[in-house]
Amino acid sequence: MSAEEILTRLKDAIVEGDPGKSSLVVNEAIAQALDLKDILNEAVIKAAEEVGTLYEKEEYFLADLLMTGDALKAVMDVLKPKLSQQSEIKPQGSILIGTVQGDIHDIGKSLVVSLLNGQGFSVIDLGSDVPPEIFVEKAKEIKPDVIGLSGLLTSSISKMHETIILLKKAGIPSKIIIGGGTVSKASCVMIGADDCSKEGHEGIKKIKNMIQNI
Amino acid sequence: MPYDWIKSIGRVMKVLGGQMRGLDRIPFFALIDEQFISRIMGITTREILSSPETYANCLIKTAEFIQADTIQIPSAYAGPAEAYAFAEVNNKMDSIQWYDYQPIAIKQGDVCKTEEDIEKLEIPDHSKIDLWETTFRTANIIKDKIKFPQGMGVSIWSVVQELRGVDAFKDIRRNPDLLLKLCEKIYESQLDAYNHWSEKVNAPPLIMYTGYAFNKHMMSFEDAMKYEGQFIKRFQKKIKAPFLLHNCGTKPYFKEICREIDFIAVNGSHPLDIEYWIDFQREFPKVTIMGANIDVSRELLTGTSQDVEEKVKENIVNLAPGGRYVVSPICCLPWGVSLPNVFAITKAIEKYGKYPIN
Repeated sequence: MSAEEILTRLKDAIVEGDPGKSSLVVNEAIAQALDLKDILNEAVIKAAEEVGTLYEKEEYFLADLLMTGDALKAVMDVLKPKLSQQSEIKPQGSILIGTVQGDIHDIGKSLVVSLLNGQGFSVIDLGSDVPPEIFVEKAKEIKPDVIGLSGLLTSSISKMHETIILLKKAGIPSKIIIGGGTVSKASCVMIGADDCSKEGHEGIKKIKNMIQNI
Repeated sequence: MPYDWIKSIGRVMKVLGGQMRGLDRIPFFALIDEQFISRIMGITTREILSSPETYANCLIKTAEFIQADTIQIPSAYAGPAEAYAFAEVNNKMDSIQWYDYQPIAIKQGDVCKTEEDIEKLEIPDHSKIDLWETTFRTANIIKDKIKFPQGMGVSIWSVVQELRGVDAFKDIRRNPDLLLKLCEKIYESQLDAYNHWSEKVNAPPLIMYTGYAFNKHMMSFEDAMKYEGQFIKRFQKKIKAPFLLHNCGTKPYFKEICREIDFIAVNGSHPLDIEYWIDFQREFPKVTIMGANIDVSRELLTGTSQDVEEKVKENIVNLAPGGRYVVSPICCLPWGVSLPNVFAITKAIEKYGKYPIN
């Protein structure tokens, strides 16, 4: 089988959201000594773009995003150790993420984590109900490009605000994005976040933009 | 002067029934949950729920404080309270999280982590669940005190999300039969809650159906019908009360679902384009719109009283002249909302919402 055919099969396995198949094909690609850059550019990134387009056209939905996220993760689990050996290929960026204190909703946040993981970002997920001090402590330790504060309850906006104040007070330079059903552009400006997103897929796009602009 | 609940009830019933005769003004429907009650009453969630008398008193006082025309018990809504019932009967109470000034929450996905959890999931008997018993008794006190008959909330997908978490969405693709099994168990549980409600409180005059599956970013309309819609149809065969559809999601399938299933009213805040709601009213003239594009997370939370007044006016002018419109900020009044913004709603109703509306 040609390199092109393997990469197409890998892309299709990701777009189909089949973690077992994508893992199998990426191992096949490695065994055939395909260039890691080609695997990333021709299969992984193209698949992620295709999934994004399908979602925007309302042909794909949350379930599909999650399944493709799992398929992407399966690929990246194989690629990551090899990528770290190649100094010219760096992770796409690092993100520290969590649902703020007082809120244990985590579906939206988990979706974002799943997709970011799959696309080669380095993601630290602090889970849910995370106190502001923990965000600060972890941000000091890992120096993320972006910090994502998630929450579904309207009361989470106040806790996001409190977290942002502490992060800024601690001199953390990371960009901050807030996410969840109740966030709005106005609340984003009000609490001093850099951007906001009401839903996961849009959040991923905004995080990518933020990292590209750093 | 005592609050005139009888007048409020009449107002709401007239609007839902499409009657204009004797209707003085547009009603105000506010969803009040524990976080807003605790702010107004100055007590914690545990204190609010400590006795049916306290719970009922807090609800009535808070609703009267903001001059709402409706009153409903937050724990009669089939989200966290239903998850609480499942957690209790399945020995998973460590999944329940109490907060001082917020509703009870559950760690999403904790109760049904595995396939085995779903297979073995016990259906609660709501009369044996303390929170539900408190809810039934609270409903009776409210009914006796202010003569407002109490409706209850029903839902499948919001409970699925609480019990199964993010895996529920993956199950749509990888294990639909398992997911349907969970939906069936929730359906049975909701019927149990309804039967107890009918027996202990009253036959609900209205069912508030929370239909979160009906959002484009959540799932396709076909999947929403499979995991929620078919159950609404089954509920409607068993429950002889009109259904109100609540959906505070940002990409709802309101028109699509109203073409498939009968609802007396829809309670939503999206799409934000008022033209959508004008079209909706044209297509479904007998369905009352509660809310339209008034959204708790925008002007109400971050705007001024003037912004709120303008938004309420926009909705009244466009949707209320022929009746079947209720002002509603959709979803629960947010923590931290400025009280003048809440009062701006009733002021705007007084200013622009008296019938006949020009």
